[in-house]
Amino acid sequence: MKKILATVLASAMVLALAACGGGGGTSTPANSTPGSNPGTSTPSNSGDKIAISVIAAEYGQKTKDWWAGFQNDFNSTHDNIDLTVEVVSWNDIYAVVNTRIGGNNAPDILNIDVFADFQADDLLLPAQEYVSEETYAKFYDAFLEQSVVDGTVWAVPDLASARALYYNVDILEAAGAQVPTTWDELVETCKKIQAYDSSIYPWGIDMTTDEGQAAFAYYIWNNGGDFTDASGNWTLNSDENVEAIEFAISLVKDGYTNTDPANETRYKLQDLFGNSQLAMMIGPNSIPTYIAVDKDPSEVINYGTASIPTNDGKPSVSAGVMDRFMCFDNGHSAEKIEAIKEFFDFFYEDTRYSEWVLMEDFLPATKTGGEIAAAADERMAAWVEIVGSCKFYPTAQAKWNDVKQGVINVEQQALLGGNVKELLDNLQSEIAG
Amino acid sequence: MTQTKKPVSMKKVILRLLLYFVVLDVCIITLYPYFSMLCTALKSRTEIFSANGTILPIHALWSNFIDIWSRAPMAKYLMNSVLIAGGSTLIAMLCGIPAAYALARMKFKGQTAFLGFVIVSQMFAPVVLLVGIYQVMLSMGLTDSIWGLIFINAAFNQAFTIWLLRGTFMGISADMEQAATIDGCNRVQSMLRVLLPVAAPGIVTTLIFIFINAWNEYTVALCLISTDTLKPLTVGINTFNGYNMIEWQYLFAASIFAIIPVVILFMCIEKNLVSGLASGGVKG
Amino acid sequence: MNAAAPKQSKSTPAKTAPVKSTPARGRTLRRVEPYIWIAPSIILMGIFILAPIFSVFQRSLNDVSRTGKLKGFNNFANFTNVLKSSAFSMVLKNTIVWTIAVVVISTVLGFMLALVLNNEFRGRKVARAIVVFPWATTLVVQASAWNFIIDKDYGTLNTLLLKLGIIQQSVNWTPTPAAYFTWEIACGIFVTIPFVTFCVLSGLQSIDASYYEAATVDGAGYFQKLFNITLPLVKSSLTVSTVLNIIYVFNSFPIIWTMTKGDPANTTDTLVTYLYKLAFYNSKPGEAAAVSVIGFIILLMCASVYMIYTLRKGDDDL
Repeated sequence: MKKILATVLASAMVLALAACGGGGGTSTPANSTPGSNPGTSTPSNSGDKIAISVIAAEYGQKTKDWWAGFQNDFNSTHDNIDLTVEVVSWNDIYAVVNTRIGGNNAPDILNIDVFADFQADDLLLPAQEYVSEETYAKFYDAFLEQSVVDGTVWAVPDLASARALYYNVDILEAAGAQVPTTWDELVETCKKIQAYDSSIYPWGIDMTTDEGQAAFAYYIWNNGGDFTDASGNWTLNSDENVEAIEFAISLVKDGYTNTDPANETRYKLQDLFGNSQLAMMIGPNSIPTYIAVDKDPSEVINYGTASIPTNDGKPSVSAGVMDRFMCFDNGHSAEKIEAIKEFFDFFYEDTRYSEWVLMEDFLPATKTGGEIAAAADERMAAWVEIVGSCKFYPTAQAKWNDVKQGVINVEQQALLGGNVKELLDNLQSEIAG
Repeated sequence: MTQTKKPVSMKKVILRLLLYFVVLDVCIITLYPYFSMLCTALKSRTEIFSANGTILPIHALWSNFIDIWSRAPMAKYLMNSVLIAGGSTLIAMLCGIPAAYALARMKFKGQTAFLGFVIVSQMFAPVVLLVGIYQVMLSMGLTDSIWGLIFINAAFNQAFTIWLLRGTFMGISADMEQAATIDGCNRVQSMLRVLLPVAAPGIVTTLIFIFINAWNEYTVALCLISTDTLKPLTVGINTFNGYNMIEWQYLFAASIFAIIPVVILFMCIEKNLVSGLASGGVKG
Repeated sequence: MNAAAPKQSKSTPAKTAPVKSTPARGRTLRRVEPYIWIAPSIILMGIFILAPIFSVFQRSLNDVSRTGKLKGFNNFANFTNVLKSSAFSMVLKNTIVWTIAVVVISTVLGFMLALVLNNEFRGRKVARAIVVFPWATTLVVQASAWNFIIDKDYGTLNTLLLKLGIIQQSVNWTPTPAAYFTWEIACGIFVTIPFVTFCVLSGLQSIDASYYEAATVDGAGYFQKLFNITLPLVKSSLTVSTVLNIIYVFNSFPIIWTMTKGDPANTTDTLVTYLYKLAFYNSKPGEAAAVSVIGFIILLMCASVYMIYTLRKGDDDL
């Protein structure tokens, strides 16, 4: 009897609480969501509008403002659509996205680096269903191929970046060293720099959880190795890979690199490089902008770029990184699909798109964008050339995430004294076995 | 603990000096990270990364403290943090005080089980519960809402509230409340008028705890809030921790700024921590 | 208030006040009343904590796809996978070292600091406010600041020591993973001390000065007073802070995540950072949930030992 009474009371309070919570919940976003972006002048959040939600990665300081402006422009030219773009930093984006998807609340459109996991769970729509033919035709074929699973393209590239060797011209000159093209020359140059000034780190390596897979790629690709063979089977423990990683680790062990590659991210390397404390590093095409931030042009270091050094005689391979847009299959109506197509048409409209790419110093993923970017900046032209020929991570492979974390772990174990061959053998059997 | 009225002895003077020495050391060590943060916040980017760094900024850029206001909606973030921390403190207290009171003053079946449940509820890190929390919030329409954060912070602070207040209440004799009851007060009245004023130090401590915990909560807010203008300070200042670079000077300027309200709040109510127990009511 | 040796007499939960209504209704009301008082709290925790906990258990027992879809019971495969992995034992060891080191050291230091701050002295208010600082700072920022301070190349600690002439060239403060882990523990202690200090301080504050006066008259020394008066009286607040601290520290995430992300090769991972990586970097939500259930079981065992111990003693101030 008393139990019943207690239960009744308890449930009454649940209802009361839920009601109060629900009421509060709806009232709070209601007066804040539509006008959320300062400067947005959306008249009212009427029910007939088609709402599109986008989660976008924050590439740099300007990304947020750019998207706010985009949202504004888009909404003011599309009366029937209510677009909201949420910009999330790279540090947090995986947690945010996985939490949303785990909570069955996937965004309509997502801008991120990986897609295979989502595709494997049948969460995505094929690209050609939500991108208009006209826009679709703009992409470089090589880029679209990176998002193919089972013969279907599941995502479209939003931008790319390519990596190359950056070196401090003044330090190399003062040390009487030449720009290295092979691994032997690299060691030679490191020695000379060290002899010239022992307080300068000759070579930068980042083997952190942040981007350790990039270091892995730089060395194996420039030793003729790869993550997979031509038919897509994992070849993580190939002789070339073992040799390449052993070489990278030897650079650290011999004291040619920054102190703690397992904990020093590329941001720190860039800071060191920009302040003449690091002589050489492999980095993205955005480095020039980065090292010039808040500096008088006269203070900016005198740097040069070159191809990534290779093991004697092997062709030099630039590493490309490409991010994507994908569209979640949230049971969209035909109208909504049309609205999403309009979103992509708007985004990839040539001037707007080249503005997007140039904003944070990335490389365009569309042919027309490439032409505009190359015309706008001659430095860009060289990069556009490079990006056409560079290698990408095998992100279309469903196990890529495991491989990515796996190779980082191998690098870090090797830094702690592990045997590279054994570690890669174990990883290979774990992934392929 | 040496405050009896006796003529000043040598021993006392030494103890005093020792006390000040210890206090001073503690303060210096505690403030060192903040001193570093402040110096960094006043430097330019170039100066932060220069090879021959200085301790103090060469040119103090106070403008960094002004810039953060235009670079991010700091005022909004601050407002949200105040609402979230204040709201969750209120709700945690409203739910926690009655529960602690019942545990301290009544005997009922399942008392121990309830105390156990309260502890168990704390045993999962918020990081672990993220997906589950998100689902609950989604079903209640509380995602991307300050209310959601208020409730979740209140819930996560229940254990602390209940356990600490229960201890406080139990340490206070029930005699006066009984006297009040005889005078015609009901339970609620006797609790409000007699018990709570005496329990002030415990309540103030609890208040500070909840407020600070809610003020500092990061993970849930990060995943729950998507609208920029609804973010609390902790998540908002991440703006300065971007993809391409960490803008240390702004990050630290904003962080120092975020500490100030908490310290002010603390100083305002700290005296209650001291004076609440002036006399009487404490059970011996 | 008359006992000089204030061994807390057993608190008699107040005899319920006479209720002015018919005896039968009164009795029912009296029986139900406690449940009404605790109901709001139960509801709050039930909805916002218990439901998410349920979903963690669910995921730990299911085959979960990389994006979080449940695909049916998988015969504890998540648990066996976790226990099989080579890193797990190291991560578990780290977690235990981390928890014990942070809790024990911060409790001892925090307690001592509370004794100091309980004295009357000039500037006490300021000193107390300063002690709150580490606690009033978000952990993410606190950890970033520490990372920034101990950095070899542009850290402020090196700059300070160089300028003071204590060192001649920059010191690498984190030459080994163990050194890094020690710094993380130091940071953990730094931010935990205020919590303990104010828990204890609130207990100290409620001790009537007459006890000490009486003891002094009886000729008790400082340590006698500390062990016979102070400790028994702050025991309950100290216990609360320690029990909760064990749980909070065990589950602490931002410090380690910000400073090392568990790198290199899991050597600085604790269970929470490890499972975060499993869930959000390796896309193994099922195994991540299994790790959290294992962590929960460990905490539960500790808590039961404590509960059984206190209940056997028949102590009601737990």
